[in-house]
Amino acid sequence: MSELRFESVSLHYGALRAVDDVSLTVPSGQVVGLVGESGSGKSTLAAAAVGLVPPTGGRVLLDGADVQRLRPRDRRLQMVFQDPYSSLDPRMRIGQSIAEAMPRGTDRKAEVARLLELVNLDPGRATSLPSRLSGGQRQRVALARALAGQPKVIIADEITSALDVSVQGAVLNLVRDLQRQLGLSMLFISHNLAVVRYVSDRIAVMQNGKIVEEGPAEQVLTDPRHPYTRELLDAAPQRHTRLEAS
Amino acid sequence: MRALRTPVGAASAVLLTVLVALALFAPLLWGDRAAAIDTDALQQGPSADHLLGTDSLGRDIFYRVLVATRLTIGFALLATLIGVTTGIVLGAAPAVLPRLAGRLVTSVVNIAVAFPGLLLALFFAVIFGAGTKGAVLAIAFAIAPSFARLTQTLTASVSGRDYIAAARVCGVGRFRLLTRHVLPNIAEPLVINATMAAGSALIALAGLSFLGIGVQAPSYDWGRLLGEGLNRIYVTPAPALGAAVAVVVAGLAFNLFGEAAAAAAGDRQQARPRSLPPRESTVDSGGGDDGVLTVRNLRVAFPGAAGWVTPVRGVSFTVRQGEMIGVVGESGSGKSLTALAVSRLVERPGVVTADRLEFGGKPLLGTSDRELGTSLAMVFQDPMTSFNPTSRVGRQLAEVSEVHHGLSRKAAFERAVDRLKAVRIPSAAKRARQYPHEFSGGMRQRAMIAMGLMGEPRLVIADEPTTALDVTVQREVLRLLARIRAERSAAVLLISHDITVVAQTCDRVLVMYAGRIVEELPIDELFTSARHPYTTALLAAVPDLDTDREAPLAVIPGRPPEPGEIEAGCPFAPRCPLAHERCRQEPELIAVDDGHRVACWRMEAELVDAAVGAPEARQTGETQRASGPSDGGSDE
Repeated sequence: MSELRFESVSLHYGALRAVDDVSLTVPSGQVVGLVGESGSGKSTLAAAAVGLVPPTGGRVLLDGADVQRLRPRDRRLQMVFQDPYSSLDPRMRIGQSIAEAMPRGTDRKAEVARLLELVNLDPGRATSLPSRLSGGQRQRVALARALAGQPKVIIADEITSALDVSVQGAVLNLVRDLQRQLGLSMLFISHNLAVVRYVSDRIAVMQNGKIVEEGPAEQVLTDPRHPYTRELLDAAPQRHTRLEAS
Repeated sequence: MRALRTPVGAASAVLLTVLVALALFAPLLWGDRAAAIDTDALQQGPSADHLLGTDSLGRDIFYRVLVATRLTIGFALLATLIGVTTGIVLGAAPAVLPRLAGRLVTSVVNIAVAFPGLLLALFFAVIFGAGTKGAVLAIAFAIAPSFARLTQTLTASVSGRDYIAAARVCGVGRFRLLTRHVLPNIAEPLVINATMAAGSALIALAGLSFLGIGVQAPSYDWGRLLGEGLNRIYVTPAPALGAAVAVVVAGLAFNLFGEAAAAAAGDRQQARPRSLPPRESTVDSGGGDDGVLTVRNLRVAFPGAAGWVTPVRGVSFTVRQGEMIGVVGESGSGKSLTALAVSRLVERPGVVTADRLEFGGKPLLGTSDRELGTSLAMVFQDPMTSFNPTSRVGRQLAEVSEVHHGLSRKAAFERAVDRLKAVRIPSAAKRARQYPHEFSGGMRQRAMIAMGLMGEPRLVIADEPTTALDVTVQREVLRLLARIRAERSAAVLLISHDITVVAQTCDRVLVMYAGRIVEELPIDELFTSARHPYTTALLAAVPDLDTDREAPLAVIPGRPPEPGEIEAGCPFAPRCPLAHERCRQEPELIAVDDGHRVACWRMEAELVDAAVGAPEARQTGETQRASGPSDGGSDE
């Protein structure tokens, strides 16, 4: 069991309430999609979850333990970032980057090879520098690095929005496969409703720092209760509806 | 070591090598001659025996200058080493220390930076006392603050990167974070600046010795030799000049080498090829009738490391009045460059060529700026950077009409307010007096469109106008573009990476891949009769709200080629499930239907099929064609 729970988490920067009293649970082995527009507080919530910024109010609990109080090595939470061009150290071979996240006493070389294989990359690539890799490949490396920490929960923050659309599909498939294969719990953040819909079991909608709706994916999408969710669904581009002139 | 390839870099490297060699070997080779006292030849001028004359004890000054290289360079490097190390430690400390201690270090550095370096050096020289040790430490501590500041700034710029956050999430400690992730990534500018600091240290040390508070007799460095020679400079200038030249040359060598290294690190551009890119002509296949915009065989080239890189390779299309055309493609497909070329915004060293590039029936290059400024509107991705942040929005809009229509300031402003109303900006008169930062992203984008409407645009080119916007705002902006098209019968060229956005708004779509149009088709055929394997793959790969959640998404293996790596043949072939022998040659874009053009051999095979009728006939036909290209259209 590995469950991530936000308990009335708030993050205030002066008068700005970036995250305002958010309670949300990522149940064990499930993917919770978090949608919302820019500035709604999605990424700030992610940063609070992995301990990059301490919440000003409330707690983030990983299997009941307060994330802020866990030692970094015991904080089995990993994050995959939006921009694969900036999330890998350009001076580090990708194998080293992946190995860095591993707990002590791991057979690093074998584990790096296994993880690279797991994300469909040639293990021989371990000695490459990130600059030799494409955006999609880098994002796979970032996923492998997250898995190297043997996380209980993974937080994916807009992981496909910097990728080309022809590459995005492969990364999404990989995320879904890994999640099912390893039974990971995941908080999947994106502004793209179609992408969130594709990977998530549950969907939470965030607006102005608050979660305005949360529920099983199918229900939120087919029977949205909150007007903002309806607005988002309406605005999402759809293939077979023409947009009329305003 | 790109620095060595420039003349300055090579020359300074040679000088540095000579200096190091002198520092190492001169005392061994000529130490005795430089120390030999010759009472028969006191204070002589230059002669064949003594190139730079002799000093008050009859010692040969030329050899003394050579031998002094070791001490001068050695102390300069030592001072630099101490100074740079201290600076880096001080600069990096705030990243490792607890917050309060870190702030303390930062403020100490901030205060120290405010003092001029030489003043600090003199101050320390007094504290440490006259002598070599004092001088070296003085120079070192004078260098340290600026290095600490540099390290701090560089560290701060790297600390914001995601890989630092990622390492922190992995539980990497602060010290390791600094040594493994921060320092290696800021090493380059530090090394370059250290080289230049060595040059300054050398000159400063010589200065201190010259003043008598540096190297003390019987040791001697260039500064001391200069000081000794100066007394007689009006009688025999050579002894003083010898040391002076040495100081100048060594100082220059360090500084120029640093400069060359910095230039090489900053500007990774290689020497540019001088000749123009080769012009290739392809068949005019864009349909006969003219529109608002006629583009035939448009090519955009940039000079690269190994000759010209051509991100746009022969694009032909026509935009007719009142039409909304979508251009879809991934990064590197050349879609944005096509838009820039069409709006004459490709800057040097980029080169734009075309068989025909006509706007409103006239060659684009011959169109006056005024005409272009009023009849072509451009909307960019990031509305924040397309406005001048220091000027009011209404003013910026009004400027268009003042410049292009010759309207008075007042009339132009009224027109601006009117256009802001036209794009449905609430309380437009008030908003016109606000600055761009007071507008939301969507409102800025609408204001940008309003700016285009200041004239009577016949064509609006919108390059990813909604990519930076939220979906709810995106919809508004797209609707606005559709309305302008309907009300003013302006043509719209909408460039987007999102095929769904294009499908919702446009009449026709151009699919670009690797600098070419691979398919052009009416929008109502997009989901039913797209023929190019790239178009169909793209449609299948992008999830929308109707995608089957249980099935894996269709994927396109590999990635799109960068403009520099496009090879002969169909550029999509390496990723194409239908690729075969033919695809080693690049197919032309040919019409398959009314308004439907495709660049794929498979299409042509099917066409042959349709023309000849029988599949058997086609098979023989294909084997013949595969053995040798018969159309010769795209031989390269």
